Amino acid sequence: MILDVHGIEMSYGALKVLHGISLGVEPSETFAIIGPNGAGKTTLFKVLTGEAMPTAGTIRYKGQDITRLPAHQRARRGFGRTFQVARVFNELDLRTNVVVAVESRLRYSGGSLGRWWRWRPTAAVRAEAEEILERFGFARRRWQDEASYLSHGDRKRLEFCVALATRPEILMLDEPTAGMSPSDRREMTQLLLRLKAETGITILMTEHDMDIIFELADRLMVLNFGEVLAMGAPQAVRDDATVRRVYLGQGHHPGHRHA
Amino acid sequence: MNRIAQIALLLLLAAFLFAPFLVNPGLVFIAGFALIQIVFALSWNLLFSYAGLISFGHAAFFGVGAYISAVVLRDGHGIHFVLVILICAVAGAVAALLVALVVLRRASGVQFAVLTLALSQLIVVLIGYSSLLGHDEGIAAIPRPVMEFGLFTLDLNRPLTNYYFVLAICLLAVGLMWLLVKGHMGRAMQAVRIDAERAAFIGIDVWRVRVVAFTISGAFAAVAGALLAPWGQIVTPDYVNWLQSAQPLFAALLGGAGFFWGPVVGVLGLSGINYLTRTFAGLSEVLVGASLILVVLLAPQGVLGAVRQFARRRGGGNPGGRP
Repeated sequence: MILDVHGIEMSYGALKVLHGISLGVEPSETFAIIGPNGAGKTTLFKVLTGEAMPTAGTIRYKGQDITRLPAHQRARRGFGRTFQVARVFNELDLRTNVVVAVESRLRYSGGSLGRWWRWRPTAAVRAEAEEILERFGFARRRWQDEASYLSHGDRKRLEFCVALATRPEILMLDEPTAGMSPSDRREMTQLLLRLKAETGITILMTEHDMDIIFELADRLMVLNFGEVLAMGAPQAVRDDATVRRVYLGQGHHPGHRHA
Repeated sequence: MNRIAQIALLLLLAAFLFAPFLVNPGLVFIAGFALIQIVFALSWNLLFSYAGLISFGHAAFFGVGAYISAVVLRDGHGIHFVLVILICAVAGAVAALLVALVVLRRASGVQFAVLTLALSQLIVVLIGYSSLLGHDEGIAAIPRPVMEFGLFTLDLNRPLTNYYFVLAICLLAVGLMWLLVKGHMGRAMQAVRIDAERAAFIGIDVWRVRVVAFTISGAFAAVAGALLAPWGQIVTPDYVNWLQSAQPLFAALLGGAGFFWGPVVGVLGLSGINYLTRTFAGLSEVLVGASLILVVLLAPQGVLGAVRQFARRRGGGNPGGRP
């Protein structure tokens, strides 16, 4: 088990939003957290990434207790993360966005950043950044464009480049297709499928789009009012009577819940 | 655009290099003073434009350098002045590190700015109580040092030597800061400024980057202060006061925040205004205020921002990349 979460409780003052959540993620697995708005998905996600500290419970990553570790320490141990609204380094150009992440990895993993008076990134760093950009479909002529001028879909892709530049073992994706056009969603799903196939990376994601969940997820967990409603293979969860009533039902066809 | 910027930079360097042969001693004095303010403003801009921290009390570190240098020169300890500058740099760094460790624990935005202001004003008050530092009058008539370098001797009592010594140290400081912010450390600092949370998720220790930036910035501010003592020969609490802390902010706004060279343009502009209005008491403040308002209203990106926008419009199209 790469991620072993046990008995997570979380309160905002008197309001308890997570009531003892436990889950386990296997290596190379894609694990999805779903649930209606206000179910505690985002809070649980933030507890797992290190942005919020749980009031009780433990999080173990590859056997190590990381419950109290801040976000950057988790990133150094192999966590990568993307945001619901893609966050990249706006004023920097595309290549520098990725270079910053590669250099950060080299800094904490004891790699070489070149001699101190060389201000430019080393050839190895540049080559690695360019390889990642190319792999995600950014043509050479765009490498020096400022990231703030990218379209929504391109920003999402660049964020992936930045996140993968630290060579994470587990990717935390907060609604990877939120706010995207259907064609961009399609492209993102293909990208994730390709990433899984090529690297065998572990993915933990929240997502609203049921089609994408059922296409990508190996297992999923349904949250409702801060409690685990169901957990298991997508098909089993879909057929679960309680889940149908609480979440998938509600008069909607599963494929059309984008809220 | 880049070519024009390079030429402008070379012309500026040439102007400073040949200043003693081109203009009268009064202007040379102002040029030396501007060089010191440039180093100070750039050290502040290291925080503002790169690490994303606004300090309103940066003059405290300038003061650390200025007072250590002034006391050592006044008391005639015979310490080599290059060593004095290094001592000032270390003292400035240590002072900044202590402030950063205390203040950056909790705050980084407005609270940080206010706390730095409060701390620096506290130092002004403490100087007023200190006989060693000359109370409110400060330390005047500071003797200029003579430096022995084995093969040659630098006597700062000779005006030409004095000017070129200040110029050399300032160029060295500017060069080191340029290397720092253009290198991987500068890129990490920018990442933190643009989006601290995103930066944390690529493994950057945001707090540590800010503390390191603040420490380095304090060291360079102190170096600028150390040069003031022999150049101006007087150090008063005015150099530690909030108005001195605000100078880099004015310079950065005027010249262009977000540009490494912005504060340089700003300091030159401010020095120009001060020089042209030297015979009218009070006029310089009015003009500085008016030009700041004008720049903020007409060119919020400062002089360099306006120039870049103009160049892009001339170059046509492509807002994202280089023209």
